[in-house]
Amino acid sequence: MASATKGNQTSNKSTPGATFKQLSHTQNSGSNRVIIAFFQISNGNNKSFTGATYGGDAMTELYIINRGGLASRMAVYYMIDPPEGANTLRVNFNQQNWNSMSFYARSFTDCGGIGAHLKEGGSTSPHNENLTVENDSLIMMTCASNAAIQTMQIPTGTTVPDINHTTNKNIGVGAISNSGHSAGSIPLRTTVNNNNVTLDAVEIKGLSGGGSTNNSDFFLVM
Amino acid sequence: MKYYIISKIELGEDESLKFTDVGQTDDVNVSNEINEGYDSTLGKFTGENRTKLELGIVKISTFFETTDYVNEARTMVENVDNLNLNAITNVSEL
Repeated sequence: MASATKGNQTSNKSTPGATFKQLSHTQNSGSNRVIIAFFQISNGNNKSFTGATYGGDAMTELYIINRGGLASRMAVYYMIDPPEGANTLRVNFNQQNWNSMSFYARSFTDCGGIGAHLKEGGSTSPHNENLTVENDSLIMMTCASNAAIQTMQIPTGTTVPDINHTTNKNIGVGAISNSGHSAGSIPLRTTVNNNNVTLDAVEIKGLSGGGSTNNSDFFLVM
Repeated sequence: MKYYIISKIELGEDESLKFTDVGQTDDVNVSNEINEGYDSTLGKFTGENRTKLELGIVKISTFFETTDYVNEARTMVENVDNLNLNAITNVSEL
């Protein structure tokens, strides 16, 4: 009955100059492991994602969304029980990508899996949304805007650290709840200066929220 | 603790970029110096030719006719224990 344990982060902003981008990411050791990855690319010339792998195994696509107003495509992939240690995290494209992209991944242990998510398009700042989560869940957010990202608030009123990547747009990634939430509707907010901003959020379940029991240790007390 | 992974960028197969991790640093000044070098060379070239590169009108091998490789340090991680990368404290060590 606890929130997932936050693990390693890997982030990068660079020009892939290839039909893929890959980085080494270290998955923490422990039970009930999960890795989640957030990507943003320019959608110029109809560029898109064609899949992601970790340690050579396919990750599950949570969503890919085209953001025409921001000339961007954003994607979230995850893997349940990824291999421990340093492995290659790779995202593939449908063509060579010569625009700068945003690449972010975070690992968890003691995680009940991926829950609810939302992906809301550009709205005047402050952009407010709500995500309904289970008890002990964490929330991760990402956003995009023509303007510099000012704050990412989880819940609204609590600004959490994020990583800013300036690609063809301004991207905020890596924002995560300071601690687990109580079950219910959690207000979320992204802000920029006098412009529109998107708001995407993903629920990271704690073990009380259900999920895999793979690799757990069980003890029988006699 | 934040670490910056230093990548060596060379000409890859089929007119692409090839990235190889060659070191790591926790010194933001070192990473900034590396990235300034990238921005003024390969970053400038790709920035000026993004669309042409994607359409195949300009080839990246053109850039590498006069440059063997460029370094970049824009990957941030929190753990370098398993990466087997040398700690770099000065750009001259690369």
